[in-house]
Amino acid sequence: MTCDDVRPLLLAYARGTLTDRAAVAAHLEGCAACARLVVAEGALDDALGRLPQAAASLALKRRLRGQAPPAPAALPRRRLALVGAGVAALAAAVALWLVLRAPGTRPVEDEALADHLRVVASAHPLDVESGGVHQVKPWFSGRLDFAPRVGDSGDDFPLAGGALAIFEGRKAATFVYKRRLHTISLFVVPAGGLDWPSGPRRVAGFNQRYWRDGELGYVLVSDVDGGELDELARRLRAP
Amino acid sequence: MARDRSQELLAHADALYNLARYLTGRDADAEDLVQETYSRALAAAPRLVDGSNVRAWLFQILRNTFISAWRHKKRDPTVGGLDTVAPAVEPPVVDDAMRQAAARDLEAAMLTLPEDARLVILLDLEGFTETEVAEIVGCAVGTVKSRLFRARSALRSRLAGYRT
Repeated sequence: MTCDDVRPLLLAYARGTLTDRAAVAAHLEGCAACARLVVAEGALDDALGRLPQAAASLALKRRLRGQAPPAPAALPRRRLALVGAGVAALAAAVALWLVLRAPGTRPVEDEALADHLRVVASAHPLDVESGGVHQVKPWFSGRLDFAPRVGDSGDDFPLAGGALAIFEGRKAATFVYKRRLHTISLFVVPAGGLDWPSGPRRVAGFNQRYWRDGELGYVLVSDVDGGELDELARRLRAP
Repeated sequence: MARDRSQELLAHADALYNLARYLTGRDADAEDLVQETYSRALAAAPRLVDGSNVRAWLFQILRNTFISAWRHKKRDPTVGGLDTVAPAVEPPVVDDAMRQAAARDLEAAMLTLPEDARLVILLDLEGFTETEVAEIVGCAVGTVKSRLFRARSALRSRLAGYRT
């Protein structure tokens, strides 16, 4: 293979996703320039992890939501079985709409609630599904430039999985827990420069629990009882 | 269109806006582009087959909307066909500079790239596969590979300017 053949493959080679590596590896043994490019591709991936990410403003999301057609007034009888899931998503959307219009709420609290409602309403909220924190935390390696510190939630708060999110314009880790039929979201966010709340909050009927660990801000959001959310917060904060 | 479909579309608003901002270079234009994208998506959604890759479909609409409705509005010297740009004979290897590059330097360097270079880099960053990127930008998978290589080489060259 020539350098021109190999170079478009070097990114996949550097990421370990190239299936047929032998031919490229053979070329790299005799080509110092292409070997340096493998290193450079890895370094560029690291750098792009710091590329600023912008999130849609709440005002834009409100306008987008306004473009959606209204919910139908009545449903055909055969679709009634689907109403449960639909109501959950619609309730989430309505709650989001209400809070976005509520005066006097703070950006971080609004964002925490909006992101939680997205988790609840989404058909596929998880990027990685898991039975334990030791499977989910490593998944964030290479996807975030920080490492969330999260304790064991216990069997009564099973960890459903994790996902990447944009929180106040920055990359954040999302952990999703279950409590009976309830969903609990934990967002871990580089909180430098943010007016990160502390302690308990209740916004639009949803409980929120905030804490900080160094530069990282943590917030739990759910409609579970406040005492239960306190208990989960205590466990997650444990070293 | 079902309400849950519109919710599904909304779930991608942040990612669409991020791409739109890097394509247009302006917050206000990015908001308009996302809003127009969403409008077109809502109109086309009834024709969307169940099981479709909604996320890739949305990014394709945004890309097409940008080309048809936005790009002609400005005389951007960075607009150009990346495929027609000869690759550097020996792309500079500047991993030290890349490791030191601050977030704002990366953003500034990105915005100096041609639009199609920004597009493939950001779609790759979004986690789309080469096949999905090919579908979104309307080219062959092999073209995506070479276009992405050229785009990243160009970005490395820009970042060399930030070497301290």
